[in-house]
Amino acid sequence: MYALRTLFNTAIIGTSAIAWLFVSGLVAGPFLWLFPGKNGRNVRKFVYYQSKGILFCVRMCSHTFHAARVERPKEPCVVVANHASALDLYTVAALGFDNVVYITKGWVFKLPFFRFVMNGAGYMDAEKTPPEEMLARCKQAVANGCDIVLFPQGSRKNPQARFKSGAFYLAEMLQVPVIPVAIAGTGEMLPAGSIRLRPADILIQSLPALLPTDFTGPVVHLEMARTAKNKIMEIVNKEMKI
Amino acid sequence: MITREEIIRLTNEALKKEFELTDEQLVPTAHLQNDVGLDSLDAVDMVVVLEQKFGMTLRQGYDIRSIVTLNDLYNFIEKLARDHEAGK
Repeated sequence: MYALRTLFNTAIIGTSAIAWLFVSGLVAGPFLWLFPGKNGRNVRKFVYYQSKGILFCVRMCSHTFHAARVERPKEPCVVVANHASALDLYTVAALGFDNVVYITKGWVFKLPFFRFVMNGAGYMDAEKTPPEEMLARCKQAVANGCDIVLFPQGSRKNPQARFKSGAFYLAEMLQVPVIPVAIAGTGEMLPAGSIRLRPADILIQSLPALLPTDFTGPVVHLEMARTAKNKIMEIVNKEMKI
Repeated sequence: MITREEIIRLTNEALKKEFELTDEQLVPTAHLQNDVGLDSLDAVDMVVVLEQKFGMTLRQGYDIRSIVTLNDLYNFIEKLARDHEAGK
């Protein structure tokens, strides 16, 4: 049954998800090129609706699907999540984050179609953008009302990897809250290096925001990174029974 | 006078706590960027953490960028501790 479900997920739902990404992109592309909105707002809204479509596919592939959020601060935030699957990029949409700027690895910017959308939406290449420029662009994004989304583990290869402190340094510099997001099950559904969509129990949960001013010590962002990881992994490991 | 063994122990202790490193990663020949996985921001954080651990300034008048391996780091702190004790 598990094998049959995996086959159905991959062949039917997976193909539909990819088709959704490309067809919606082809239809909306010319309009977004002509009317990207103020600072790429329309492009980010489009990505949000694309993500909703992918989330629908994830829901169809899963045994159970649970998305829960706590009340978020009104101001723009830095959103950090654990990272075990390519699906994680789309999961923040489940929590209602509809105006986000992602900071991602450089290789994502090399994907032919995605590059257009990512540049249009104002996403940032974590490897190529110099730190000063990154900070200035993030400041501008926050001034435009955008949340900034990062995966501080930096890679999908080790789900228990430490959270690097760059995202938290950014929050400290911008003096904005950090919203930790726990994602469980996506790594089981679509692990790194796989194209098969296995059925899994999916949990996406936002946690109470962390404020840079609540932390003390010589390196505030290191302390924040540790706290965010502990809170996230407590939920993920409980869900995954690790 | 602080011994080299003590420097190694305290440094490893700080790195393990702050950067979630394991004993297997903390071998003297380990490259801080490639083997230990510390990026440029981690390097800055590491300096602040070690300054607090050893109670001395690591940044003034010394070329931290020359530190490539963990052994370089131990040597650097040892030299600094000797200078510190000699009142230089």
